[in-house]
Amino acid sequence: MIKFAIRFTTAAALLTAMAAGAHAGPVSDPLNSPVWNDLAKKTFGDAEIVFDDRVKVIVPDVVENQAQVPVSADARALPNVERLVVLTDLNPIQHVLTLTPVAAKADAFVSFRLKVEQGTPVRAAALTSDGVWHVGGVFLEAAGGGCSSPAMARGDSDWTTTVGNAQGKLWRNADGTARLRLRVRHPMDTGLAKDNTPAFFIEKLDVKGAGGEPLATIELFEPVSEDPTLTLSVKPQATDASVSVDGRDNNGNIYRSVVPASWNQSALAAPRAATR
Amino acid sequence: MKGLKWLATASAFALTVCAVPALADVKIEDIVNDAATTNDVVSNGLGPQGQRYSTLEAINKDNVANLVPAWAMSLGGEKMRGQETQPLVRDGVMYITGSYSRMWAIDVKTGHEIWQYDHRLPEGILPCCDVINRGAAIYGDKVIFGTLDAKLVALNAKTGKVVWTKEIDDFKAGYSYTAAPLIVPTKAHGPLLLTGVSGGEFGVVGRVEGRKVDTGELVWSRPTIEGHMGTLNGKPSTMTGDKVNATWPGDLWKTGGGATWLGGTYDPDTGLAFFGAGNPGPWNSHMRPGDNKWSCARIAIDPEDGSIKWGYQTTPNDGWDFDGVNEVVSFDADGKKLAATADRNGFFYVLDRTNGAFQAAYPFVSKITWAKEIGKDGRPVYVDDNRPGDPKAGKDGKKGATVFAVPSFLGGKNWMPMAYSQQTKLFYVPSNEWGMDIWNEPVAYKKGAAYLGAGFTIKPIFDDHIGSLKAIDPLTGKIVWEAKNKAPLWGGVLTTASGLVFYGTPEGEFKALDATNGKELFSFNTGSGIVGSPITWEQDGEQMVSIVSGWGGAVPLWGGEVAKTVANLNQGGMVWTFKLPKKMAAN
Repeated sequence: MIKFAIRFTTAAALLTAMAAGAHAGPVSDPLNSPVWNDLAKKTFGDAEIVFDDRVKVIVPDVVENQAQVPVSADARALPNVERLVVLTDLNPIQHVLTLTPVAAKADAFVSFRLKVEQGTPVRAAALTSDGVWHVGGVFLEAAGGGCSSPAMARGDSDWTTTVGNAQGKLWRNADGTARLRLRVRHPMDTGLAKDNTPAFFIEKLDVKGAGGEPLATIELFEPVSEDPTLTLSVKPQATDASVSVDGRDNNGNIYRSVVPASWNQSALAAPRAATR
Repeated sequence: MKGLKWLATASAFALTVCAVPALADVKIEDIVNDAATTNDVVSNGLGPQGQRYSTLEAINKDNVANLVPAWAMSLGGEKMRGQETQPLVRDGVMYITGSYSRMWAIDVKTGHEIWQYDHRLPEGILPCCDVINRGAAIYGDKVIFGTLDAKLVALNAKTGKVVWTKEIDDFKAGYSYTAAPLIVPTKAHGPLLLTGVSGGEFGVVGRVEGRKVDTGELVWSRPTIEGHMGTLNGKPSTMTGDKVNATWPGDLWKTGGGATWLGGTYDPDTGLAFFGAGNPGPWNSHMRPGDNKWSCARIAIDPEDGSIKWGYQTTPNDGWDFDGVNEVVSFDADGKKLAATADRNGFFYVLDRTNGAFQAAYPFVSKITWAKEIGKDGRPVYVDDNRPGDPKAGKDGKKGATVFAVPSFLGGKNWMPMAYSQQTKLFYVPSNEWGMDIWNEPVAYKKGAAYLGAGFTIKPIFDDHIGSLKAIDPLTGKIVWEAKNKAPLWGGVLTTASGLVFYGTPEGEFKALDATNGKELFSFNTGSGIVGSPITWEQDGEQMVSIVSGWGGAVPLWGGEVAKTVANLNQGGMVWTFKLPKKMAAN
């Protein structure tokens, strides 16, 4: 018997638990996944876990491309989130990414694209400062094969000329945060494709303000789609003219990009940037 | 959206390295003294001098026939190509490299994999001679190897995670790296990682580079070809050679070859690193009258600053692709500090390793046609008729006269390292008896394209064998014994104080011979051809012997008529580790 101290925080969930008998022990997974108990043990150890509707995962109703499924994980409704983990129960590689805001300089929010090998629960788990993991999720209906198909880069005669190329933009939100969108060219090979290509993926991104102060760190794993496209909500200094993103892949290649905060850039200094 | 270029630069990126509690860090003294310590193998060559001699005696002439496999491990995947690696062993963990730029850590007690690193190679790599790798270097908590896309990768020895990676050069121009890196001590910079470049058939210019082991940061660079400028601490240092065109015509030095594709050895006595430089480009020697320094040569480099202390050219104005890369093995005899090298050109050379002074050269193959002998001045006495003809002198100006030259361009000996026994005082040289029809053609340099200017086809010179393991007395040149082999030998040799010589054959047999007379005492079929180099070490009181099996390398690709005779040899990829049954060892 796996011992989880599971606590429900919503009234609906509490009623469910009472109906089930409300005794100690594992409470049934709302998504009814066959692997949840093992996955939770592996990911969270003995830490306290609660299923919490305030942690939202948004996926499309219909998956058009199982190698590029847009996913948003949003725990902004929770206070003091120290880490946000995205998991896919039924993918061959379950851990998708981990977002770690540094000193509350990024929101508990990330959008990205996901490879999906078969229909699976997609979950976000937010660690709050009291040491409790708050878990929310949805079941993603999808046809399979997203993790074992070769990357598009495989058909490219020379991906080395474009690897690490990036496009990005910052928008200023009304609340003073900045929305960062970044796409980085990278094959993100899972190592599971039948063509014998080894695993090759960006494993870490460090997001920093203009002065180099860390805002957030993201660990990525193989299920993040080729040419990772990420959206974050970060809080650089009000006067920062840019946000930088430093990346490193599992072969040790190092990438760096700087995304300008156009509202803080002098029109004289960068007259053409605004028109592109 | 504004387009942003991400640059693959490694500057200003702080890396934290996990502590490795179970594994003791490899110190520079461990590498320098590797030949004297029997409980590990932390250098290519079982000691930086490259003697491949072990003082272990538990496995001996009387009991070697009882060797049994302790375990075997498959290199897996569908990437079964030539396995030319030499394993390293430290604290109960074996590190091996394999085809397609892969590396493994293996538990030596069980043969189970601890981790595997698969380098993501671009599709456009340009290796000349199979997708091989010849081994790793180990220092501190890192294992370091070169890749087919010309990068150096340092892995955490405990986890297999990348600590740093550095690009040696542009793989699209023909660069790659397959040799085992060499780690040497320096006073000025601490331990340095010494590497060369591969790509000798693509017009690249050879060089030796010294890097800081912990970061991969370049400290110095030394080009092998006269006229090119070296660097030290990021600034130009000194030019190689005295003047630009002393031994080269026109601009040919700019694409002059001299690839340092086999790495080097290090002699703690003199503090010198010995590297070999490959063939000059293009192959057609009539385009480049002169000695073409330092192509087809051995150079002694001071690791403190990358300066050349001496050079010795084995084949000046080479016209036969007699790369001068073969390993320089230090040894002492007659109270002298000597070094020996068995060249592609069929001669076994003995040099004074303190100054490069020529001592003697002896033929180590049955037939040599391109030179009568090596004169007392250390220069070959050429047979002019045996130099492939000038294409301009041909009837149509397109193809020069064809000659049949021995040895072939794959050499009396190729990359496969020989061994020197401090017990028998003999060198054990894996040699091949073959010749070639060779002719010259006009050629122009094009980036990333083969820069040969020659055509060729290899032919055996005996009906019954090509390979021949020879025991050579370095003081007299006498061939004390030879062990013939039908297929060409392509793997390294190991010898032990108990009077044994270990090596493998393309037929797949891993053999032990009596070091004094060549008598076969042990043979085991490993299932695929052997082109790797064996090691031995002591593990928990037992002597172990390991060899990596897996057929491939240059012979099936470039072997001409010979390739047909090895076409029935199948590919593989397996590490074999042998020991004596405990009961027998006690006898």
